[in-house]
Amino acid sequence: MKISRILGLLVVCAMALSLVGVVAAQDMVTLRVWTGSSSPVENEFKEGQIAAFEEANPGIDVELLISPDYGTQIRAGFASGDYAEVFTVGQFDFPQWQYDGLLAPGSMYIEAQDDIYAGLRAAFTADGELYCAPKDFSTLALLYNIDAFEAAGVDLPDMNWTWDDMAAAAAAMTNDDRVGFSAAADKFRWMALFYANGGEVFEMDGAVAIDSDAGVEALAFYQSFIKNGTGDQPSNLNAGWNGEAFGQGSAAMTIEGNWAIGYLNDTFPETNWGVAEIPVAPNGGRGTLTFTECWAVSSRAEGEVAEAAWALVNFLTGEGEHGGHAVAAAGFGVMPARAQFADLWSETVGEEYAAFVTGASYATAPIFPLGFGDFDAAVNEATSLVMALEEDPADALGEAADVAREILAEME
Amino acid sequence: MSADSHNAAESSGSAAQVTTQAQQQRADAIAGFTFVGPALLVLVVFLILPLLVAFYFSFTNWSGTRPLDRPDAYEVVGFKNYQRWVIDGRRVDDFYRAVRNTVYYVLGVVPVQTVIALLLAVIVNQRWLRGKSFYRTAFYFPSITSSIVVSFIFLFLFSAGGPINAVLSLLSPYYEAVAWTTNNDGVLHLLLETVGITEATAGVWVETEIMDLEIWDWIAGPSVAMSTIMALAIWTTSGTLMVIYLSALQGIPSSVYEAAEVDGASNWAQFRHITLPLLKPTTFFVVTLGLIGTFQVFDQIYVLQNDQTGRTTTSVAYLVYATAFESSSPNLAEASAIAIVLFVIIFAATVLQRRFVGGDRAED
Repeated sequence: MKISRILGLLVVCAMALSLVGVVAAQDMVTLRVWTGSSSPVENEFKEGQIAAFEEANPGIDVELLISPDYGTQIRAGFASGDYAEVFTVGQFDFPQWQYDGLLAPGSMYIEAQDDIYAGLRAAFTADGELYCAPKDFSTLALLYNIDAFEAAGVDLPDMNWTWDDMAAAAAAMTNDDRVGFSAAADKFRWMALFYANGGEVFEMDGAVAIDSDAGVEALAFYQSFIKNGTGDQPSNLNAGWNGEAFGQGSAAMTIEGNWAIGYLNDTFPETNWGVAEIPVAPNGGRGTLTFTECWAVSSRAEGEVAEAAWALVNFLTGEGEHGGHAVAAAGFGVMPARAQFADLWSETVGEEYAAFVTGASYATAPIFPLGFGDFDAAVNEATSLVMALEEDPADALGEAADVAREILAEME
Repeated sequence: MSADSHNAAESSGSAAQVTTQAQQQRADAIAGFTFVGPALLVLVVFLILPLLVAFYFSFTNWSGTRPLDRPDAYEVVGFKNYQRWVIDGRRVDDFYRAVRNTVYYVLGVVPVQTVIALLLAVIVNQRWLRGKSFYRTAFYFPSITSSIVVSFIFLFLFSAGGPINAVLSLLSPYYEAVAWTTNNDGVLHLLLETVGITEATAGVWVETEIMDLEIWDWIAGPSVAMSTIMALAIWTTSGTLMVIYLSALQGIPSSVYEAAEVDGASNWAQFRHITLPLLKPTTFFVVTLGLIGTFQVFDQIYVLQNDQTGRTTTSVAYLVYATAFESSSPNLAEASAIAIVLFVIIFAATVLQRRFVGGDRAED
């Protein structure tokens, strides 16, 4: 009897306590924040940002989930309709997720949009509406091995370097131990040259133009290193990727992104290297590719939850000290999405890497529109066939473009 | 029903006995289902239901990301996904290329790993062998190591400047380093080339397209890169299959061998006429496991695949994954359709194999 009485009392106490908990929680807004896991340093950085936000906003409780398998995690959430209020979106996922109505429009909420690089804004804009706030980005640039250049007596690349200069330098530096240029069979390398050369995947009127002269020239130039024996694919240079081939000295130049900075300095501290912008195309054009990620708000967030969510997004990406400023000052590979912090980033990481951030002003995010997955696959195949010297650039790109034209015809 | 009344019923007349027998049977059935219930539940929830759901979604256009609680989450599109990948759509060549790669993989891996497993089991089972448990562990070890880790080790071993090439060039001064993991040349193509047959000399008929793929491409054989992956698979799986064979070998009574020895049967004759026939059910089991496992090959491909070898190393299971998650236009419905076709292929292969190896009949 006694025991049951005590138990009963306990239950009542517990209910009372939980009631107090509920009342207290009503004043709190809870935000679930999901993102992918990258390096431990970056995860710590994100945790620090969130902690600072919670401190500044006592009424908002943030549940941060950094997931090693983010893609699967968030897709399962999407499918069930129960997902985070704030989450990261990669540029290649954006068209599909936007089309599926998962993202809340952000033009009204995202602060100081003009300061965000145009190429990044374009990546996350659909029908004139900016959906989410770019948090950081990377660009491609030309990495060169200073020792190799000096040994061969070739002038170091500068901002006026052209394709011809690059081809001549690669030939001059190729010897028994190394090639001039490491050229991965990846469309997201040669397409930097493609945009520099004035190429467009689709013209303004929607016509497919990847097989235009600009496209064929760019791919042919990229292939020419393999053809002339002045370059090779990283796998043939005993390396897993361009960065490794370049770092270990089996290639004197390569095209890679700013993610290579940390890798090269950690893994190959002996390699004496520099960065220049992607060489100027024959027509004088400039271009490079950019890869970016943004913070988005769920289309299901409403009322004060939505307000809190946008406050968090602006906190993480905006002009304040914990946004772009913090990204720039943190000094890891990625660059802040806002032009006003470009100098700070260069100061933190080192002026010698400034070419990456210079490229941001003319960089393009290479995103294929929704429904063109087959075209995407066809361009991959064309790239690998061309780089294996099995097909010539004009034919290969022509076939890929035909796939895109077929899709266009089906859409009408 | 209590135990007392049960006993009482047993001792009464025959009419009553019939009812108790029926009751007994029902009680047995309830007990049986209670015991298999949890396992059955797990099977239904995690296997049968997902299979049915995948089958259903293969007839829709669901992207996999649009919330299912939305009224416009997906539309039913009939056979469109199948038509697109398997019948005459734009991805047919990708699908059949993956089928070709997978079939070569299966044909290469299953027989070799079965024979190696049997050999290892017979050796480890020898009475004269000392340090048996060491060998057992050594042979089994690759199977319990993470296949991702093993794949990375292979990637290193077979890289252009890796140990395999180093050893081979030590053995032969004429050896030219092969880029094992990135070489797309078909093994059969290379063999044909040594006797002077190339696509140009073979005649026009090899350019005939079957399922959007030229006959010449169909008869390529596994590429060098794929062969590397096959070697990896054989190395890792043989150990597991060896353990299965070993337990079967130990189940053969030694009296049978003693009798054969008395009759003057040689070692080879004993192996051929006693061991092999008595192992037939095990062989059926091992081959079935091998077939199903190899048709579904994914993780090794996931690691060893790269931009250059995509065309000759993509397996059907990898294609399912790539379609659902890696494409810039992810499509879970199309991935489901490919998965269902893969299921049909595996099912047909198992039935065929059952016809030819005949698992059940061997037990008579």
